[in-house]
Amino acid sequence: MSENRIEAKLEQLKEKQEKAFITYLTAGLPDMEKTKEIIKAQETAGTDIVEIGVPFSDPIADGPVIQQASYESILGGTNIHKCFDAVEELRADGCGLPMIFMLYYNTICHYGVGKFVKKCREAGVDGLIIPDLPMEEQEEIQAYLAGQDETILIQLVSPVSGQRVPEIVKDARGFIYCVSSMGVTGQSGTFHREISNYLADVKARSPIPVMMGFGITKAADIAPMKDSIDGAIVGSHFINLLRENDFAPEAAAAYCRTFKEEMRRL
Amino acid sequence: MSNTKAYYGQFGGQYVSESLMNTLAEVDAAFEEAIHDPEFLKQYHYYLKQYVGRETPLYFAERLSEKYGTRIYLKREDLNHTGAHKINNVIGQILLAKRMGKTKVIAETGAGQHGVATATGAALFNMECTVYMGAEDIERQKLNVMRMEMLGATVVPVHSGSNTLKDATNEAIRTWAKTAEDTFYIIGSAVGPYPYPKMVKEFQSCISREAKRQFAQEVGGLPDVVMACVGGGSNSIGMFADFIEEKDVRLIGVEAAGLGIETGKHASAMALGKPGVLHGMKSYLLQDDDGNVQLAHSISAGLDYPGVGPEHAYLKDSGRAEYVSITDVEAMDALMELCKLEGIIPAIESAHAMAYAFQLAKEMTPEQSIIVCLSGRGDKDVNTIADYLAGKGYLN
Repeated sequence: MSENRIEAKLEQLKEKQEKAFITYLTAGLPDMEKTKEIIKAQETAGTDIVEIGVPFSDPIADGPVIQQASYESILGGTNIHKCFDAVEELRADGCGLPMIFMLYYNTICHYGVGKFVKKCREAGVDGLIIPDLPMEEQEEIQAYLAGQDETILIQLVSPVSGQRVPEIVKDARGFIYCVSSMGVTGQSGTFHREISNYLADVKARSPIPVMMGFGITKAADIAPMKDSIDGAIVGSHFINLLRENDFAPEAAAAYCRTFKEEMRRL
Repeated sequence: MSNTKAYYGQFGGQYVSESLMNTLAEVDAAFEEAIHDPEFLKQYHYYLKQYVGRETPLYFAERLSEKYGTRIYLKREDLNHTGAHKINNVIGQILLAKRMGKTKVIAETGAGQHGVATATGAALFNMECTVYMGAEDIERQKLNVMRMEMLGATVVPVHSGSNTLKDATNEAIRTWAKTAEDTFYIIGSAVGPYPYPKMVKEFQSCISREAKRQFAQEVGGLPDVVMACVGGGSNSIGMFADFIEEKDVRLIGVEAAGLGIETGKHASAMALGKPGVLHGMKSYLLQDDDGNVQLAHSISAGLDYPGVGPEHAYLKDSGRAEYVSITDVEAMDALMELCKLEGIIPAIESAHAMAYAFQLAKEMTPEQSIIVCLSGRGDKDVNTIADYLAGKGYLN
């Protein structure tokens, strides 16, 4: 089994022939204690992987929901150091959930790329999603990630990636993050018109599991493409749901259980 | 995989989402093909001459020269159609957009000059045009908003982050990522992911190409100093372009020091920024302790930008160009001086370059010469100038 928590989890799911359920939440919204409680509740409820959004002032790949969440979180004092602290505290509490940081490259550059990767390994950050770092710009961070398994870089593919797909998936780790539409996060119901062909194509080429994200609110959304994907990622909708429920961990847990259950029945 | 073509030393690159990478490759290929196509260049130069009104004069500022004791020449980009250098680049990019079969263009704007230039080009070439502008900038540049609307553009207010140029640019990039199939993004400054900094330089280099020839013909030889203001850096890279290889010519970029570098309220990315990533490029960037982008400050909306074009960052690091800064007060003094001594009302942006020229002139001899890029005219700034003179302060 892989030394990486994400890969180990995906191996287990493959054996059970189950799809992965992945959520995204902005760290520190409304505060870091709540973020940790929600993550723990999700582990219990059966969420497979969580993406923790490290807020940035200029989130160019995000739609209005995550933009607003990031803005509020920064005003509340969230920064990369507090995000690392939160992961360390969760690990110390026995949380074994695979955790991914989703963040913009400037946050990493500012921290120092080498120092950042080292800190991820020490804190227990299992993966990184960096939406403004296409494969052409990954050389520096990949050099630091090479030769270890604790922290991996997740690759993104878009409906218009076309001939770039084989190169992107070639040495990819964990899973391939297939963006369901062009543009930004949180455009529900507007999957790309070629979504089915696109996902089938990526699935055929990818040696590792394929997840679909952007614009998903319920398990039924992925029913038409269930044979091409190995799981779903819910971000903006999850944040809306948390807000509607005053960030109650129970509400997050209930949503995760339902989604997971409905996905089993697809 | 290394992406060396997209870099100027350690600066530049393509820090955008995967959705835009093929689009950038298409723009790059189309651009390289176009600038080697005599038909395209003929068309571009036709519109620069007949529509924009080039070439612009290289004017010997007699009274300023006499007062400051060195020869000061002004490259009169303020005389272009729409009142600034921005139109040079818009004509180039919009012709490229048409050639690529796009039917819509989008743009970001701060002060509104690039927005007006894009709306103008879109009207001329019958393209649908949407301009993203920070809600705060819409408030302080109402006249330009009206001009854009008269020209048929839709102006979209951006209510995110600081509600200024930086956020308008974010929103334009987001929209572009969604709509790139039929939409061309016309970036107005020498910033953004490759090939944009290269394109903007190419389409602004007419400034230095003309100035170099005009100086040689009218004065002889080369100027000692070439100077321009720097926000993102479009007029300055255009003013520097043909002089970069002339090692004896000093190149000086003038950033906005706002209320003073020491106050923290400034827009001097070169003076105090550190390398970072914003708007698809790696360059000097004003950031806080957490790596979030800091708000820039300047009385001039056009210089109010926390980053700077990557080639400028490289010119600074390699020592080929110098970068200095000028405060709001120094710029406004220079602006009034230019009004009174030469009868020219400059844009507040351009007044920053003028102000530094006056300071530098003290170290120069009467035989030496400076060319200052007068990037735009000050009509758009009259309200700001009036508020400033009335001691009311100003927005921002």
